[in-house]
Amino acid sequence: MSLLAYVEPGESSDTEPEAEAEPDALVDFTAMLRQRQREYGGWFGCGSKMQAEQSDQGYYLEQYVLGVLDFSSQYGIDYSISYTAANVIGRPTKFPAYGDYPETFPMVSRSGPCRTVRSEFPFNSRPQRTYGDWWQRAPSATREIQAQNLPKLATHDYIVVYFEEFVVPTEVAIFETFNPGAVVRIWAYGLTKHWTCLWEATESDLARPALDSRRFAPALKKTTMITKTLRIDFNHSRLNYYTEIDAIMLCGRTVSKTQSLLGRQQRTKQSHQSQRQALVSPPAEAAGPPAPDGSGGPISYKLRTLKFQPKCHEDGATKLHDFINNDLSQFLMEHSVEGGEPPPRVCLTDLPFEILLRILSYLDLKSLFRVGQVSRTFYDISTHPLLYAELSLKPYWHVASSELLCTLARRATMLRKLDLSWCGALGNVSPTEFKKFLTQRGDNLTHLRLNSCKFLNASCIENVGIVCDNLIELSLRNCATDPPLLNFSCLANLKNLERLDLFQTAFETELLLSMLEGNRKLKHLNLAFCGVSVNMDNVAAHLATYNTQLISLDLWKAHFLSARGLLSLTRLHQLEELDLGWCLREASLGDGLFQLLSNCPNLKKLFLSAVRGTTERDLMHIAALGKNLEQLDLMGILNITHERVYDILVHCPKLQLLDLSFCDNIMDRDFDLLAEWSHQFTVDIKTSRRY
Amino acid sequence: MHSSLNWTSRLISRALRSSFSTLLETATGGGGGAAAKSGATKSGAAAGSSGCPRPRFVSVVCGFAKDNLRHKYKPGKYGEDSWFKASTESADVMGVADGVGGWRSYGIDPGEFSSFLMRTCERLVQCSHFNPQRPVNLLAYSYCELMEQKKPILGSSTACVLILNRETSTVHTANIGDSGFIVVRQGQVVHKSEEQQHYFNTPFQLSLPPPGHGPNVLSDSPESADTMSFPVRDGDVILIATDGVFDNVPEDLMLQVLSEVEGERDPVKLQMTANSLALMARTLSLNSEFLSPFALSARRNNIQARGGKPDDITVVLATVAM
Repeated sequence: MSLLAYVEPGESSDTEPEAEAEPDALVDFTAMLRQRQREYGGWFGCGSKMQAEQSDQGYYLEQYVLGVLDFSSQYGIDYSISYTAANVIGRPTKFPAYGDYPETFPMVSRSGPCRTVRSEFPFNSRPQRTYGDWWQRAPSATREIQAQNLPKLATHDYIVVYFEEFVVPTEVAIFETFNPGAVVRIWAYGLTKHWTCLWEATESDLARPALDSRRFAPALKKTTMITKTLRIDFNHSRLNYYTEIDAIMLCGRTVSKTQSLLGRQQRTKQSHQSQRQALVSPPAEAAGPPAPDGSGGPISYKLRTLKFQPKCHEDGATKLHDFINNDLSQFLMEHSVEGGEPPPRVCLTDLPFEILLRILSYLDLKSLFRVGQVSRTFYDISTHPLLYAELSLKPYWHVASSELLCTLARRATMLRKLDLSWCGALGNVSPTEFKKFLTQRGDNLTHLRLNSCKFLNASCIENVGIVCDNLIELSLRNCATDPPLLNFSCLANLKNLERLDLFQTAFETELLLSMLEGNRKLKHLNLAFCGVSVNMDNVAAHLATYNTQLISLDLWKAHFLSARGLLSLTRLHQLEELDLGWCLREASLGDGLFQLLSNCPNLKKLFLSAVRGTTERDLMHIAALGKNLEQLDLMGILNITHERVYDILVHCPKLQLLDLSFCDNIMDRDFDLLAEWSHQFTVDIKTSRRY
Repeated sequence: MHSSLNWTSRLISRALRSSFSTLLETATGGGGGAAAKSGATKSGAAAGSSGCPRPRFVSVVCGFAKDNLRHKYKPGKYGEDSWFKASTESADVMGVADGVGGWRSYGIDPGEFSSFLMRTCERLVQCSHFNPQRPVNLLAYSYCELMEQKKPILGSSTACVLILNRETSTVHTANIGDSGFIVVRQGQVVHKSEEQQHYFNTPFQLSLPPPGHGPNVLSDSPESADTMSFPVRDGDVILIATDGVFDNVPEDLMLQVLSEVEGERDPVKLQMTANSLALMARTLSLNSEFLSPFALSARRNNIQARGGKPDDITVVLATVAM
């Protein structure tokens, strides 16, 4: 029994709504120290006396997570305690054991963001997914909006946790119990209502660590901020399989009862810091050094000295473009420069407007705003609406605010694609501002992503339905509120949708059914985690009737999908990707799988994780009919023998990924055989070998 | 995210072959109450203790696996039986589960199901939506968790869960099958659970059959559990055990042993009693002449039987201390 009985209740000034006391959240250490403190009457210098700012800053405290505020995805369904985000609460349960345990927290974001340089190919050079790059190779892969905004190690998933006491953080330790190496950033939320990045991974940090559980505690930035809320960012691109977190520990010095005094000082210090740190400063502010534009001083100087005059023929623009992209550096190296020349007659701003626009279009949003501070000309160029046809505030989630939206609304008159995912946490963006933005600029929107947006309410969604009738893609992941946000029929106005993503979002079934009827061109549909309150058989029947052009369908954890629903799905002949993970629990599949494989010859990706009703005959059908299969997940299916696996490997020539974790029939001695076959057939085979 | 109402409203599980609608109605009422209660206990802990007495269990466990040689000792299990103990601010919880051995012939380890059930109950007690007045919910949620495991867990087991609610000094119990509990006060049995059987030697059981075998397998829902609630006083002795004990040790003998530890707060003495009870059950079970309660009940069903019934034995013995 913990020593929390000694702890005085309600001392910290936390206002978190979900602060339900977990009795074991604090290390007993705390209570012992408090007792000692009382006995020795202020030995540590804190207590009732108000000290000057150089007072002892309380005592060293290690805390485990008290509660989870938000997360982008989890493997388990939210009423469960297996493989869900709630497992990071409290002390580690499995650490230092290594393995795939249900008492930990894995993520399954299913479609991660991707870093791409603006290129001509539809898919990127650096694909990612929940592990490795399998999702980007699947038919349902998406392209990131305004991808140049993303940092090199983009965030795929995150979790926001809070602790009991405010501390000045000195160490954050993350207990990883399976496939470590996904943490890329650690943020802390200070009293000034700003997020500070305490640590960011560099390339060398992600060199794949040993496959063993580890207590990951990187060196944090030195800071004097006070916090008890952390956000951890994850990137799964280097991983072999899911990563799992057992606990998070926050270590630091408490600030005792002088908290308010220090807090005030912190706030003034922080506001200076945040001004300097503000990633995107509106041009009205005179903060930040004037940054030279992309090409830099030396180039225009060289151009001046060489009296460079572009000759504009018909294809002059492309020639110039090619020249600047490819040959400019070579040109500069060949011609050296002497100093002290007469003032230039040609400068960069003499380049045609379109060229400058093209140059600036490679910049990320932050740099674009900085360019606007250089001069009036550059301000005019950088505020041109063509540069704001695609807008993504996802990488700037920590500074996105209503004011920013307001500023962007003035510029983005030709907005086509908008991504406001992750913004608005903790109240920075107001729904009214969003609605205003949408009403002003939303009528030509083709792609809209509002994943994990905390500011969304029912009237925002209503607005989306009314204003944005040209939408081709709508992504509303992670809006699982109760009552469901999506209960307005206004979304049924959208008739041109090709991609609809409702991952982990609650909605009324009737709305979904009417949307399916209305959007005959639907190609990609994601209904993961929606299966509890929705009758999936009805949905499947609707899909078979109205949405026969469907290419990818994700029904992860749709519990109530039965064999009848599966039979409906067999009428979708264009299907290339189908995720039936954890569906069809107890039912036997009957003829369903055979029909599916026969009718959908283009099937490239088939996930049957934990579909326990799969029989050996079904596996034989997969081998016989799955000619185009590239990714196959058979996790947790009984009745798999290594003969069946061999069959599949031989007869599916395009297979790249085969997941056989938790297939208990495969004996230990077969694992070596599997490794051999993996090499022989060049297929990545995942197994849950006991480590 | 976890609000208890969210949890209970999503627990509509047609897949479990019977709806928990009655569970839902009472649970949403009780769940809301529990959330408020557990929120209040933290701040009111200091205040609460001054007023009414807060009882707790002094509890010990002992047992034997039927086949000692094959089963290496693992904490929390005795052969195919399994048990758990947990406590929070507001409650003390204990439980046993007995895996049905018939699954061995299908290649399924019968102890896995019962072990998982108990381990999950233990974890669920620590969750924010734990309701100290509804042990049936605990069993139901634990049963649902089985479906969410990557590793396929099949089999079936009986279960008996007992919760002591500190606020009200009441004990709430839920029992499915032939495990059970007995409460002794002042040399008399004051409460006792009833054995639930479909027919002789086939108790009620929670089960998860292999897919496709569903209709052939006996499967009872957590709703069919027998529930009881009663107040307890200082010094009460509570015994929770699997059928290995109740089938081998006659009731008067059990009563004799249990009355000796009434009011006992020393865990060592309690452990000694539990050990002797378990040993008694083991010895009697291996005795082929003795007319055990099992033999008597078999005779009532026209089966000529003698001697004890060899089975796994699990004894969880507790006294109430205020």
